[in-house]
Amino acid sequence: METPVLSVAGVTKHFGGLTAVKNFSFDVQPGEAIGLMGPNGAGKTTLVNIIYGIYKPDSGKIRFRGSNIGGLSPHRICHLGIARTYQIPQPFATLTALQNIIVAAIYGRGLSRPDAEKTAHEILEQLDLSPKKNTVTLDMDEVALKRLELARVLATRPSLLLIDEVAAGLTEEELPRILEILRNIRQAGVTILLIEHVMKVMTEAVDRIIVMDRGEKIAEGNPGDVMKDRKVIEAYLGEPE
Amino acid sequence: MKVNPFRLRGGLAPLLIATVLLALFPLIGVPQNWLLYLFLFFIYLALANMWNWLAGYCGLISLCQPAFIGIGGYTLALMTWVGLPIWQGLIAGAIIAALFAVIISIPVFRLSGIYFAVGTLIVPELLRLFFLNWRPVGGLLYGKGAGYAVKGATTIPATDIYWLTLIICIGSVLMMRFILRSNLGLGLAAIRDNASSAASSGINVFKLKFYSFVGSAAITGLAGAAFYIQQGFIEPTSAFNVRWTMVLMLATVIGGVRLEEGPAVGAIIVVFLHFLLARYGGVSLLIQGVILVFIMLIAPQGIMGSVRRALSHRTPHLRRQPARTRG
Repeated sequence: METPVLSVAGVTKHFGGLTAVKNFSFDVQPGEAIGLMGPNGAGKTTLVNIIYGIYKPDSGKIRFRGSNIGGLSPHRICHLGIARTYQIPQPFATLTALQNIIVAAIYGRGLSRPDAEKTAHEILEQLDLSPKKNTVTLDMDEVALKRLELARVLATRPSLLLIDEVAAGLTEEELPRILEILRNIRQAGVTILLIEHVMKVMTEAVDRIIVMDRGEKIAEGNPGDVMKDRKVIEAYLGEPE
Repeated sequence: MKVNPFRLRGGLAPLLIATVLLALFPLIGVPQNWLLYLFLFFIYLALANMWNWLAGYCGLISLCQPAFIGIGGYTLALMTWVGLPIWQGLIAGAIIAALFAVIISIPVFRLSGIYFAVGTLIVPELLRLFFLNWRPVGGLLYGKGAGYAVKGATTIPATDIYWLTLIICIGSVLMMRFILRSNLGLGLAAIRDNASSAASSGINVFKLKFYSFVGSAAITGLAGAAFYIQQGFIEPTSAFNVRWTMVLMLATVIGGVRLEEGPAVGAIIVVFLHFLLARYGGVSLLIQGVILVFIMLIAPQGIMGSVRRALSHRTPHLRRQPARTRG
């Protein structure tokens, strides 16, 4: 078997008395797209933050291509080839869309300024952001900011992409386009871990879904099976009386 | 690439014209006391630019700039005592100030935000006590204090000192221009806008801030050394004085922090205030404080912040405030 791109093994994280993530394990194989879902407060974003070195796990190991990345700082993790988007877009607010991406291309990937500009234009084009390239991101709407978030992390050329909600707030008509964008990212060879609440995106974009509730893994499998799982239904709808 | 609207537009031509005019002043018979005020302006502008680099662009509220000024001055004075020429003392002042910044960055970079400010505040005071008791060369002074004359300073014509500080000042302006347009400037802007996003975009936040801190210390040390050539004498209490911090904060904040031209406008006002308030002695600081509060009330982003907003009526997004530093 190939070495997993990402291997999370027995990770636990407490915040005071609250156990946000409890003995959580999963592997992501190269080229795979994994969905991570669960009710609000299940610990999905905390898990991403642990993988990305924002929080130190109380126990457990995070491996990227077989080597331990626990305790590395976020910029080092970025340089290794892991990128993440934030649930609430975190752009560089006083910079233009183009500059936002140039920063990531220069620092995340070590490109020279002219190369970074060229890459940035290409990525903006791919994500339909070209008309907004000279807009200061402070003035962009939420939907465009979600795209920009994706554009910025793609500029660091990740091999593993952690996406914390990309479709939230989109209309039904906008979904096919975002699915297409996700497909294109996969086709470029990027492994994806996707956190998402929009089921249509989840079922169509990923190969496998992991369901999380109160910090624990309650189900794992292909999208069709997981949706029918009794524990999953209970986690979302509550236990039957 | 389109230039960011929050950065200064315009070419180098106005700067060049101003530099040439200022350089000609001593030759066309401008009165001595005018030249003295211009000398002060050059020093203050260089210092304020370096503080703006830290406070405005890196989010580092450094209150230890007097440490770099004093170290620059002391290095210069001590070098002249061991017989080295003034120009070597100047350069040594910049280097020693930078080395000192490297050393103190170990403890103070563990702190952030307001704690960084407080941590840096005590550094000049520690140096003041140290230099009061440390006398590496020369015998004991008559009376008290641990002052040193800058040997040979009196032989240097005032116009030479004027030109030297003009060069340092214009150098600091060009340096800021260059930094803000370089990858470093772009990285700092990203950190300022969103530190966590900057880190996950591959920016080593610590490294960029560290380089800035050391670079700022070097030029601050250089300007401090140049100031003490003109003074001809250095002693710990004035060299490591918190008044320096007051002056460069006033200049930067009045003009507009995080604006490239802010310190220049602010430094003009600070020097003008010195000139106006010279006869009031101790009360002048109080009056300057009141003026600062007043300016903060009517122009919270400094004078140039208000000017820019007034000039950008036709492009509405320019009127909005840029996001504050986070994280």
